[in-house]
Amino acid sequence: MSAAQKIDIAAVGKRFAGDPSTAPPVLGEISLSIAENEFVVLLGRSGCGKTTLLNIIAGLEKASSGIVRIDATPVLRPGGGKGMVFQQGALFPWLTAQQNVEFAARNRGVAAAARSGLARELLALVGLAGAESKYPFELSGGMQQRVAIARALALDPHILLMDEPFGALDELTRIEMQNELLRVWAARRKTVVFVTHSIWEALILADRIVVMAPRPGRIVLDERVTLPRPRSRTDRTLLTLYEGIWEALQ
Amino acid sequence: MTALRAHGRWIAFAIPIAVIGAFLLSWEIAAGAGWLRPILFPPPSKLARTLLELVADGFPEGVTLGSHFAITIERILIGYAGALALAIPLGLVIGWFPLLDRATSGVVAFCRSIATLSLLPVAIVWFGTGEASKIFLIGYGCFWVMLSNVVAAVRLVDPLLLRAARTMDASRVDLFTRVALPAALPRIFAGARVALGVGFMVIVGAEMIGTIRGLGALIMEARTFYRSDVTMVGMAVLGVIGFVIAGGLQRVEHWLMPWQGRASEPDA
Repeated sequence: MSAAQKIDIAAVGKRFAGDPSTAPPVLGEISLSIAENEFVVLLGRSGCGKTTLLNIIAGLEKASSGIVRIDATPVLRPGGGKGMVFQQGALFPWLTAQQNVEFAARNRGVAAAARSGLARELLALVGLAGAESKYPFELSGGMQQRVAIARALALDPHILLMDEPFGALDELTRIEMQNELLRVWAARRKTVVFVTHSIWEALILADRIVVMAPRPGRIVLDERVTLPRPRSRTDRTLLTLYEGIWEALQ
Repeated sequence: MTALRAHGRWIAFAIPIAVIGAFLLSWEIAAGAGWLRPILFPPPSKLARTLLELVADGFPEGVTLGSHFAITIERILIGYAGALALAIPLGLVIGWFPLLDRATSGVVAFCRSIATLSLLPVAIVWFGTGEASKIFLIGYGCFWVMLSNVVAAVRLVDPLLLRAARTMDASRVDLFTRVALPAALPRIFAGARVALGVGFMVIVGAEMIGTIRGLGALIMEARTFYRSDVTMVGMAVLGVIGFVIAGGLQRVEHWLMPWQGRASEPDA
């Protein structure tokens, strides 16, 4: 791999405070290196620790053992250019779409005058031009996730962490959003770590699919997908990959 | 569409009016026919005359309905405003620090459970029979209700929103002022509405002693003279005030929090 290493997950383990010491840990010893601008999907069933791992990378949770480094610096706290998109959007209901995006820009010190233009530009990028003054409750689930993506981009993040961002959407909206995300990602290249339990979502999106299994949370497969995008769901290579991932998930 | 909607709104307005009208009419007829004793259930026509009498001459003579009304509103507003001014900042702080909440929740629950009017004798001992004891009782009732609501409002802020804000480099101060506070606002407002209701419940009892002015005093005083008509008018006036204020608060709420629940309304 010629690309520089961006995220280095070194022997990260996690055990929750209240768990009995005999129970298997949420995360065993996970080691994973993610390259700059790589689109990595963490795939696995519920309880395999993929969201916990994402939260540790985000700095929202602390590892019980091991360490996560980003650009060779240990992760100690959230923020600092690690953009995050949550499953339920987590938009601030009292702010309009525009203000939600501006919230993110404000804290990284974008001048007030520039914030509004930036927010407008990012909302347009995610296909929400004209919806700037709408409150979250006036937006559909898919549109709310678009705002959440625009908000994360307003941090000008070097890393985008996505926790089942399309998990709550209906199938058709979900496919639209996957295409949309790839379009945005092509325009704003970032290192992406994307959590899902949908094999197809992983196959359509990822440069690299990391399959995890529970008790203890561990990596059981690390598969590269070199197929160019957009990918067809009927592609033979993808079907073969699907088989392999399915096996690994059993 | 608009015509249909206007039509619907007219019906929504007309039905309660019709129900109230039918109720008053059957009451009038029942009283006129002698099925109800007028001394216990004075007919609406009598109540209307009493209302005019109260407005013009007052009860007791010289203390008009207007002055009863003014003094009651004044007491409620002072007690209520004082309670809110103390309970909101205190509740925000207690709610924000879980340790503080755990340390105080017992006291708050205890003080809140004391029926405010049972403090009437103590209040008189402490503050005399003048204005201070009345305002204290109203303030006491409103304060604990408000405090526990504000604490809960902050505690129940969706942790996901705080996490999201932390990924956006929000400082600790930002988390409080720009996330927790607006997120707690709807519940704080709901608490303020409940507290105001408590104020109206307490006022009648608080005005029972040491005064002839105030709607509570009017109601009590009328009882002594077997003037159930005056009592009923007093009750009705209290009801109308509560109704008007609740409506006003709702408007303020919509104005302050346009992101809240407006979706279910036709075209606000």
